[in-house]
Amino acid sequence: MENYINNFLFTYFPHIAFAVFWFGLITRFIVANKSIQAKSTQILANDGVRKGNNLFHYGIIIIFLGHFTLFLPEEMYHLVMSTETKRIIALILGTTFGIITFTGMFILLKRRITNERVSFTSNFHDYFILTLLMVEAGLGLASIAQTASTSVAEYASLGLWAQKVITFQPDAGAIIAGHSILYKIHFTIGLIIFMIFPYTKLMHILVLPIAYFFRSGYQLIRKRA
Amino acid sequence: MSGPHAKGMEYAWFNNVETKPGIGYPDDWENQEKWKGGWKLDKEKLAPRMGNKTGIMKNIFANPNMPLIDDYYEPFTFNYSILHKGSRFKTPPSARPYSILTGKPMEKIEKSANWEDNLGGTFEKRSREKNFDNVQKEIYGEFENSFMMYIPRLCEHCLNPTCVAACPSGAIYKREEDGIVLIDQSRCRGWRQCVSACPYKKIYFNWETQKSEKCTFCYPKIEVGEPTICSESCVGRIRYIGVILYDADKILESASNKNEQDIYGEQLGLFLNPNDQEIENEAKKQGIPFNVLEAAKNSPVYKMAIDWKVAFPLHPEYRTLPMVWYVPPLSPVVHAADSGKIGVNGMLPDVEDLRIPTKYLANMFTAGDEKPVKDALKRMLAMRAYMRSKTVDNELNVSVLEQTGLTPEETEKMYELMAIANYNDRFVIPTSHREYAKDAFGYKASCGFSDNGGCSDEKFKNLFGGM
Repeated sequence: MENYINNFLFTYFPHIAFAVFWFGLITRFIVANKSIQAKSTQILANDGVRKGNNLFHYGIIIIFLGHFTLFLPEEMYHLVMSTETKRIIALILGTTFGIITFTGMFILLKRRITNERVSFTSNFHDYFILTLLMVEAGLGLASIAQTASTSVAEYASLGLWAQKVITFQPDAGAIIAGHSILYKIHFTIGLIIFMIFPYTKLMHILVLPIAYFFRSGYQLIRKRA
Repeated sequence: MSGPHAKGMEYAWFNNVETKPGIGYPDDWENQEKWKGGWKLDKEKLAPRMGNKTGIMKNIFANPNMPLIDDYYEPFTFNYSILHKGSRFKTPPSARPYSILTGKPMEKIEKSANWEDNLGGTFEKRSREKNFDNVQKEIYGEFENSFMMYIPRLCEHCLNPTCVAACPSGAIYKREEDGIVLIDQSRCRGWRQCVSACPYKKIYFNWETQKSEKCTFCYPKIEVGEPTICSESCVGRIRYIGVILYDADKILESASNKNEQDIYGEQLGLFLNPNDQEIENEAKKQGIPFNVLEAAKNSPVYKMAIDWKVAFPLHPEYRTLPMVWYVPPLSPVVHAADSGKIGVNGMLPDVEDLRIPTKYLANMFTAGDEKPVKDALKRMLAMRAYMRSKTVDNELNVSVLEQTGLTPEETEKMYELMAIANYNDRFVIPTSHREYAKDAFGYKASCGFSDNGGCSDEKFKNLFGGM
């Protein structure tokens, strides 16, 4: 049974999660495009909103990008560094920005609960997303401690798992079957976040206006359509 | 006070009238050192005062220059229901104010969009405003020297709008055909940079939909040749709408003039004379419709702003090149009794003697340059004296016009437009030619606005009750 659950969660579920993710992403962009937006309560109260938001957003962006290094095959990063070095870098950056992210989220959650204007205008969705991300970040920090205390091979196999998943290998789950439960919960919640992502306010990430940098000059004129 | 469709916008007044002197709404909006609205010259290059593109993007997660709702006021309603429930009161019945933001009772309402109405509040507080810069303001706190004026405030539909420039999503745009600045609600992603970028603080963040909204210049009315509601319903008949042709290629250069006091002149330089044959030919070549050109020739705004120079932009030093212009008010003459200056035979009073200090007006309309404001006031005083000589004394006094450079004919026209102010003279609005762009029949009786419920009562909700 344990084997079955392991196999389901870490071999098949990633694909289910991403299928739902892509379906939602595409339909949200087509059907409810104008609902994709950043949600801000800054106008209601300024207590800690700047500190919390900046810590959280800049922290989580670094953390998110850091996770992409899991997809780098050993042969590739060995050209630059050893697995041991990569692990040390990951541990240092992960701890630093993980704590920054977590602190930011803590400030924001506290504000959402204690500021009566913000809590009056918040709904379940707001609390749910924030708490889910906080739990995930907490687990991430805990699994850093786990990584630091185990072998380099165990660290390397995390990347191997990720690579096997995105290349549709049937033995992906088996790779991390013996790993700590901390990783496993972290992965599962991470996949759940991806799965529900298109149906939540997290979608604002995808409309981050990078195109602004490429606008020629500042002004925009629209001709009659 | 607020219907269900206004939720999130209770505090927002797209068009409010402020009493001056006063700090206005939101608090101290004219103080750009505080709010960072408008433009600055950054090594001779024009950039939003709040920062260039990188500066704006870096603050996208938390805007440091965003006014709080308390800088406007906490929106409130009253528990009216208690009054018609038939409850018994020991005291005269009253309804308490409730905060719309928290649903809790408020002890005291301390602010609203019009809190300084007719000089409400202390001079000490009201005088903490920017237009008193370089004015010895203490004496105006004395009852005998006090003065007041109203200033209607709405979106200026600028030629060089900072809100458009600061919107990273590109949701705000200026319409090519009539210059109206609009926010595309389907493209607004709620980054709220426009709220700080606008120096007039005329973009409001809807805390319910969490997108920005602004004055639309009643564009559906403008398109069919009708005036905006605010202009049409103005009981004083002091609002005018007309077409102005301008040279869009020179906007950037004009807004970048190093001397703040020259920007008013620069903006005047952008406007093109519709009666100039060369301009007319070029306009036709560029495909500007005939009725727009005709309207431009009869534009009341052109006459007041360019021909007679009695109208001014609000705070040209913000470098936004605003397009809602204001005629400075005449005010009673101070010391009229003992100065003996207002002779029956119409020697004009010195504008220095007007109750409202010209420096104060100049700080508002010409970045502190008093001459254009004084000239405008003189022209209006001269018009008044001339028309008085004509209609009351039955004896034309042309000499009062001498200093002003106005001819009797021009003065009569000025009087006709500004004092008689016939509807058809005040509003010269060409209909737009949408029929060329789209078959409009399909749009008839359709939903005009579809935000926050729009035509249906059902609000779109996602799986988790949000959105």
